[in-house]
Amino acid sequence: MMTLRKQEKYWGAIRQFFYNFFPYGSVGTITVCPYCGTGCQIVINEYGSSQHIIGYSLSPVNEGKLCIKGYSGLSYNFSKERLIKPMIREGDSFRNADWNEALNYSASRMREIISKYGPDSVAFQSSAKCTNEENYLMQKIARMAGTNNIDHCARSCHSPTALGLINTIGAGAATGSIGSLEDTRTFFIIGTNTTEQHPIIGAKILRERKKGKNLIVADPRKIQLSTSANVFLQFKPGSDIALLNSIMFVILKNNWQDNDFINSRTQGFEEFRKEIEKYPPEVTEEITGVNPSLVEEAAMMIAKERPAAIFYAMGITQHIHGTENVMDVSNLALITGNIGVRGSGIFPLRGQNNVQGSSDMGALSEFYPGYVRYDSDNVKKFEELWGKKMPRNRGLTLSEMFDAAADGKIKAIYLMGENPLITEASVSKVEEGINNLELFIVQDIFLTLTAAKAHVVFPAASSLEKEGTFTNTERRIQKISPIYKPPGEAKPDWWILKEFGKMLLGMEDYSSPEMIFDEIRKVIYNYSGASYDNIFPIGKQWPINKDFPEGTEIMHSKSFPIGRGKLIPVPFGYPAERADDDYRFIMTTGRNYYHWHSGTMTRRTDILERESPEPYVEINNDDAMMLKVRNGQVITLESRHGSIKIKARITDKIPSGIVFVPFHFVEARVNELVGENYDPISKIPEFKVVAVKVIP
Amino acid sequence: MAKLFKSISEEYDTYGTISEQGEIVFGQVRGFKDIVDGRSKYAPKEFLISRNENILYLPKIEKKAVFGIRSCDLKGFYIMDRQIYGKDPFYTARRDNTLFINFVCREPCEGGFCSSFGGPVLEEYQIQVIPDGGKYLVMVSEEFEKYMKDFKVVENNEIEKFRKDFDNKMEKLPVEGIENRIKWNSKLWKEYASICISCGACNFSCPTCYCFDLYDREDERLREWDSCILAGFTSSSAGNNRPELDERLRQRFYHKYVYYKKSKDVYLCTGCNRCTEDCPVDIDIKEVITHDYSKE
Amino acid sequence: MIIQKNEYLPEYYNIENVKWETPDIYTINIKTKNPGHSGQFFMLSVPGTGEAAISVASGNGRDLSFTIRKIGSVTGKIYSSQKIGVRGPYGKGWPWKDYDHIVAVAGGIGVPPIRSLLEELMDAGRNRDVSIIYGARTPSDLVYKDRFEEWSRCVDLTITVDRGDEKWGGNTGFVTEFIGRKNFSKDTAIFIIGPPLMMKNSVAEAIKSGIREENIFLSLERRMECGIGVCGHCNVGEYYVCEDGPIFRYTDVKDKPELFL
Repeated sequence: MMTLRKQEKYWGAIRQFFYNFFPYGSVGTITVCPYCGTGCQIVINEYGSSQHIIGYSLSPVNEGKLCIKGYSGLSYNFSKERLIKPMIREGDSFRNADWNEALNYSASRMREIISKYGPDSVAFQSSAKCTNEENYLMQKIARMAGTNNIDHCARSCHSPTALGLINTIGAGAATGSIGSLEDTRTFFIIGTNTTEQHPIIGAKILRERKKGKNLIVADPRKIQLSTSANVFLQFKPGSDIALLNSIMFVILKNNWQDNDFINSRTQGFEEFRKEIEKYPPEVTEEITGVNPSLVEEAAMMIAKERPAAIFYAMGITQHIHGTENVMDVSNLALITGNIGVRGSGIFPLRGQNNVQGSSDMGALSEFYPGYVRYDSDNVKKFEELWGKKMPRNRGLTLSEMFDAAADGKIKAIYLMGENPLITEASVSKVEEGINNLELFIVQDIFLTLTAAKAHVVFPAASSLEKEGTFTNTERRIQKISPIYKPPGEAKPDWWILKEFGKMLLGMEDYSSPEMIFDEIRKVIYNYSGASYDNIFPIGKQWPINKDFPEGTEIMHSKSFPIGRGKLIPVPFGYPAERADDDYRFIMTTGRNYYHWHSGTMTRRTDILERESPEPYVEINNDDAMMLKVRNGQVITLESRHGSIKIKARITDKIPSGIVFVPFHFVEARVNELVGENYDPISKIPEFKVVAVKVIP
Repeated sequence: MAKLFKSISEEYDTYGTISEQGEIVFGQVRGFKDIVDGRSKYAPKEFLISRNENILYLPKIEKKAVFGIRSCDLKGFYIMDRQIYGKDPFYTARRDNTLFINFVCREPCEGGFCSSFGGPVLEEYQIQVIPDGGKYLVMVSEEFEKYMKDFKVVENNEIEKFRKDFDNKMEKLPVEGIENRIKWNSKLWKEYASICISCGACNFSCPTCYCFDLYDREDERLREWDSCILAGFTSSSAGNNRPELDERLRQRFYHKYVYYKKSKDVYLCTGCNRCTEDCPVDIDIKEVITHDYSKE
Repeated sequence: MIIQKNEYLPEYYNIENVKWETPDIYTINIKTKNPGHSGQFFMLSVPGTGEAAISVASGNGRDLSFTIRKIGSVTGKIYSSQKIGVRGPYGKGWPWKDYDHIVAVAGGIGVPPIRSLLEELMDAGRNRDVSIIYGARTPSDLVYKDRFEEWSRCVDLTITVDRGDEKWGGNTGFVTEFIGRKNFSKDTAIFIIGPPLMMKNSVAEAIKSGIREENIFLSLERRMECGIGVCGHCNVGEYYVCEDGPIFRYTDVKDKPELFL
């Protein structure tokens, strides 16, 4: 009886045979969609020159369904603009080079810089779009080179989740699974536009709602989910803590909390209770703008109609109180006993396809693989495994790296699969930093705005062209399979990294991603039971080890990794910027359904680009009338940090006093307006609350 | 059947339903026993309308024989022929060179309503196969009679009985006259628009949806399957005549049940239910047929 | 195995000259005889950018000419291209042969098919009972200004603008106000083309002035991609604008709720 792995090799050989002799042959390959954190499994039927994409019906994640990005969004792979040769800068432009030259040049330059300025003068930026194996390799290279300066875009999205939840419950990931939502009775959605960002998860929530379950939506804008909600809490941006505390006030006042759970599984209740007593809904109404009767309804559903699941995303994390917001969400789940039971839980909806994995792999400046803190004793096991002394100081975070580059402390950055000139806050500072570098290596599939400033460009293979694993937002480790050959001389990221590692540090050779994964299994206990054989085709959720050989669907069902969960009193604090006479509007940034982040992939796809071809700002009708702004008129948005010209789109989905701008468009980089206001714990910038003035 | 397969495979490249980790897709098969019994996850429109291709270049069209296609999918091609055959050179060339051997379902599938549109035994077909226990009842159209030379012709009244049995098992929906009952301002459209996530699955999985998008990429002019649920479908320099989602959903259902019937006298639907199966929010097209519009 | 001619393959021609009528509208001429009739359209393509559906602006048999407004990616590139691809003609043209008395109403950029209609009528010697009403927003938006004199010698021509300037000495007002001033019989046909709102109001005016509904013809505009009725983008009810139009008889389409965008 052939194992699945051997079967796959067999089919791979058949496929190759077909490729060579039957150019119109049609064979299917199961892989994972490269866009959002849902991680839908897709079957790609390679059919001669066209590719047919369908959802995999047996996957517990998407059950055969896909969103428009999955169906039509993968044609960027065949764009003629793909990078096909390594390039080295010569003056103002690039010249082609071969791999040997490019790798040798970058490795030797980096070695020079390290020996001249010390290991902390180089920084590495990994990618949440790359596989677990590649993220693991990059952080290994950084640490073996002697620095903890390794970070990636999770810093700007869910770093509060990692730090906040590790503090309160011991693990920074979703506590349940998408399949378990069929047992949920109440859905509480806060700070996520689920039907546009994680469409398949949003669709699942809508399907459950049709069956009569409760849906509470809390968002400043009238998102699509709010039209189907039982209770819609339209609150002001930045007042999440006040809202959550007022919900918990109602719960405690009516004694609806789960006292058994609190007594047996949590600690710190008394201190916590004292803080909550300051937030009755009648008082917080002034801060949040939410009617107290709605708060009461919501509180009743979450506490009494259990199991209740709480979903959150950037609306909670991208604030200067991001970590505290996350801890408050955790408080709500803990006091109502909504953790550890199937159907309940906390679901941080991770954005990128592998941001959960890249965080697990330790591509963060304060964590080694498996969330081992940089200053803990457990770092010793890495020293033993990798045979070198490991740095024990805290490394720089993403934005700090660019600030340090501008100040001349960082001389070299190796960046993989990111586009910080569009996605980072305070973009002008980032640009200043990049211009000041002595060595800037960028590894990407297209020549993005950031890659155009590099000294060395490595052409990478896309996720349809390499093997590896992704971990989606419900902790499911899924395998991706290569379907096409990389164009020109592009190589998979893991190959480029291991060659670079060999040249820079004499690191060992890896002959395949599976070898890298086997090392990951040794190092991270929660991944130890997974192997390429048993995670194909439908993946398994970590922790998967000898205690849980089939993976774990529901976490924390008996105890938390830290023993008892912590209830942390979270006092309310205003956001860094507030509207005043000069800057009368609050701008929140976000995404839209059709595009993905900096648009590198989606803006090269015709159907998606046709849907949303130009940048826009959403303005409320009444505000537009008062400012005499017409629909489609180009207006200027100015903040304390920058200004952009952008077209107005008038809608009633957004309340008065607030404007919304998606950040996908390079023509109007909204992150020029976002300042350097960081959460002190996680260093995430406050993308969601920026004071602006609107100039018609 | 193996003999029939062999004689067909001498002239055609043979394709059939195969299982890819449990998912039934179409792939090349070497022998009849390789064919897996089951309805494919997607309608095999690709054999006729390619998912993406360069339309400036008419490639050499190979002769293909496709086994295992279901009647609901095959009927879709005959319905689409009325609009596209003869006009689109790629579709016409492929249609002329592909032999479809459809397998008739003995048992109704869950949620399907093909009996409302004529049932699984088709009137128009090329080679139709009704599996009957271990035996196969094969119906051939005139063009392909040469393949049955070596087989015995059997009189079979079983087909009428089979049709009646099937109709008893699958409830017939009141499709007749839907084009007159359906209302432009029904509240159904707004209801659907509040949950639809514009994924386009209904268009991509439907055996009768043929709309496509044309765009240029360097020296190629590519066409790709398009979805009328998307806003950009009707955006032009004169404006967008369907800016709201409920208008577009209404357009899709009207195209299927009203417009096509008026211009081509047949409904643009075969009752396969793939749109409902693939819809992430379970919008059910049967509801559009059975809804009582007179109450609004 | 019959391999058909590939309908999607355009024929490539050089652009002879480009004339700017207004700051954003230009006319191009191609040295080949126009095989299409007035009211029909061609798909013009710029290789690497895309295609656009443009109505033909010259009469049948004359040199092929198009008047294009610079508004999108393709129309923004045609004037600077050496070669463009042309495929067509598609659609149904104006049915001027069936009527003795014709009134043509054009608004804004809708005027090229009317110029084409006029050229065909003049070539057929049929210009006696023809009236043309043409309106634009401002005098600088008027197209074919240099032909007005020639036209006014052959047909009854009315030019109007919504808003005049100091130099404008002609009529001001919407085209709809001038429809009622003509004499109509029950066999008069009216051909209307222009922005959707203008067409809607003109139809209402025409009916009020006594024109029979089956003698009203509209030229509708939708997003067009294939031009042959296969891609599904341009439908109005059960009709496809590329196949059954762009010229529609009003009685055929008046019950379509999506008629005027």
